[in-house]
Amino acid sequence: MNASDTHWVTLLAGNDRRGGTAANHRTAPRELIWKAELPEGMRSSPVLRDGVLYVTCRDGCAYAFDSRTGKERWKYQAAAAIDSTPSLSGNLVLFGCDDGAVYAVDHTSGRLQWRAEGGGEVWTSPAVRQDVVYFGSTDGVFKAVDRSTGQLRWSRQTEARICSTAYVSDRLVYFGCSDGRVYAVESVSGRDVWIHQAGDAVTASPAVLDGLVLVGAEDFFFYALDEATGKVRWKFETGLGIASSAATADDKVFVGGKDGFVYALSRADGRQIWRSRSLRTITAPPVASGSMVCIQTFYGATEAFDANTGNELWRANLGGSLQSSPVITEEAVFLATYPGVVYALR
Amino acid sequence: MDRRTFVFSATLGTLHLGLSGLPVRQADPARKSLKIDVRAPEMPLSPLGMPGLFPGRVVEVFHPGSLVDRRVAQPAVRAMVDEGMKALTGESVPRDAWGRLFTSTDVVAIKVNPSGAPTTTTSLALVREVVQALNAVGVPNRNIIVYDRNSNQLEVNGYHTLLQPGVRVVGLDQRWSVAGQTRGGYDPDVFCEMDCFGERETRSYLASVVATEATKIINLPCLKEHNASGVTGCLKNLAYGSFNNVARTHVDPKTWTDPVIAVMCSAAPLRSKSVLHIMDGIRAVYHSGPFAWNPEFVWDARTLLFGTDPVAVDRVELEIVEQKRREVGAPSLWDRDPRNLGTSGDMQRSAMKNPFYREPGHIKTASELGLGRWELDQIDRRRVSLG
Repeated sequence: MNASDTHWVTLLAGNDRRGGTAANHRTAPRELIWKAELPEGMRSSPVLRDGVLYVTCRDGCAYAFDSRTGKERWKYQAAAAIDSTPSLSGNLVLFGCDDGAVYAVDHTSGRLQWRAEGGGEVWTSPAVRQDVVYFGSTDGVFKAVDRSTGQLRWSRQTEARICSTAYVSDRLVYFGCSDGRVYAVESVSGRDVWIHQAGDAVTASPAVLDGLVLVGAEDFFFYALDEATGKVRWKFETGLGIASSAATADDKVFVGGKDGFVYALSRADGRQIWRSRSLRTITAPPVASGSMVCIQTFYGATEAFDANTGNELWRANLGGSLQSSPVITEEAVFLATYPGVVYALR
Repeated sequence: MDRRTFVFSATLGTLHLGLSGLPVRQADPARKSLKIDVRAPEMPLSPLGMPGLFPGRVVEVFHPGSLVDRRVAQPAVRAMVDEGMKALTGESVPRDAWGRLFTSTDVVAIKVNPSGAPTTTTSLALVREVVQALNAVGVPNRNIIVYDRNSNQLEVNGYHTLLQPGVRVVGLDQRWSVAGQTRGGYDPDVFCEMDCFGERETRSYLASVVATEATKIINLPCLKEHNASGVTGCLKNLAYGSFNNVARTHVDPKTWTDPVIAVMCSAAPLRSKSVLHIMDGIRAVYHSGPFAWNPEFVWDARTLLFGTDPVAVDRVELEIVEQKRREVGAPSLWDRDPRNLGTSGDMQRSAMKNPFYREPGHIKTASELGLGRWELDQIDRRRVSLG
């Protein structure tokens, strides 16, 4: 497991986008440590580093809370609602905003360092690698900007909204688009390397592991694409569209479907290992450890399943979510909810 | 501002416009009276407003290929929209058909029905085609607004992420921005005021996008039974998705959806701006609507209904749902047998049970308020079969 239990720096824990957690909360949280009621709802996931929990809210603010006490350390007011999960990189907290820009604020003071202008709302989480920040926006533009200054390195125009957070490797950047395509472009130039055309939009975020690009689409399929060529290595059909990004642990891939099921698939061949019915539709990504999968559902429950069998381990009626996933450490479970409440549970 | 009062009186057995005005409806004598004050801007009645350019005309387009392997097929929906609009307007080219109702300077609000996720909602394919058609007559995406009361329902269906770039998706329960200015979802000056069941908040406010922003509205309801109003078609989708605080009108087993739905639709901005109704019946619901979480009550009707007259479209919808209920042996939507009352859980399990005495009479009430045609012999129902 690459994700440290104290460093959960971006969407799905780490830049590997595996949605992994080393912690193993096989029993339901029993105690509220703290909660913060924000003025408006949250669509994004919290992130955590060095005892500080960072959340973004539709009230247009990014907040930093002491993860042990819930005390607010700072908040930064952006120009519009924020739907983007923040990313932590060095001294920066990076997030997109509905005003079309990506903001970089200092992680200790909350002061603005730079602001990269864009077009449409930025709902994706900025992805950082080697001093470059990558993000797509709803006007169909994918951009690479300098991590220190926010200055544009390159941009790539697509024909549809980009709501899929990118995965960045040494050489390539992978992202989905609502035109039904998964793009692999060169990280230094934005030039296309390959494009996979799915049957409908790809809004989930890809994970890349062992030569596979793993991502679901609105065409009901979950795809494993060859990392180098984009060819389909295997695909698995669910009952409805997929907006949930996948998590991976050991030899399995976990994903939630709009059909209301959580699926565990074999990473090697896409075979279904188990599926468990959750509470109706799922659009948020799961997180996973070797023995547990945890997911927030649209209708207000956070549910944990045994990773090997799919049996439900626990359910907490907190945390209704559209895209937010829990942050799970040995000490606590943190939830950001659509109604606008942040919970720290033990 | 114009202020009108409607009184639905069990004692008099009528719905009156004003205390001594025109009696428009026979009431159910078992119910008490309901007084509704409507405050709305004064505006001239547009010839495009309800019942619109084609009173009584309903075009029913069926395409067997609109669902393929459980997926809504975009190319089939495109063909259905093209043929439906041509049949509705009599034009031979889809662009000309849309041009009868919209110009390039319009700001168009599209009212979708997102309740019933994930399968019994206004399909993305239909919304995309409508956006495309508006683009063809010169309406840019920045002047197209998809809206509903509930942001979370809009978002879980993916309207925010799957529509064309630039189209604004507005949940009325959240703030939204126009040209850098943030606005609330509802206009405090436009409202319906009534006390249905002794509730604390007696006002229902109209969406600001309807009151101020949009010049035209396209209504995209679903073909669905509704447990309180009988069907949730054009009229209910428009009224209860544009005004807030509306769940208070139905407390089981009683419901004031008739006449509230009709009265809300008669409010000037809604009535004048709603110029086109396309009902999504690709998947249809005959019981436990609007959410229809039990797939047993959903059938693949593979149909879209087109009209400018929401009363006529809803009347046809009512006939379609009634026919389906007869086929499966379920009680009529007009059923008044108390033995068929049940809990919401009972409703989810059995098509025989319902928490309310449904009131589909709101469609007739709307007709009596001048919004369209109710009588079947005055409805010009045209069927188009594709594929």
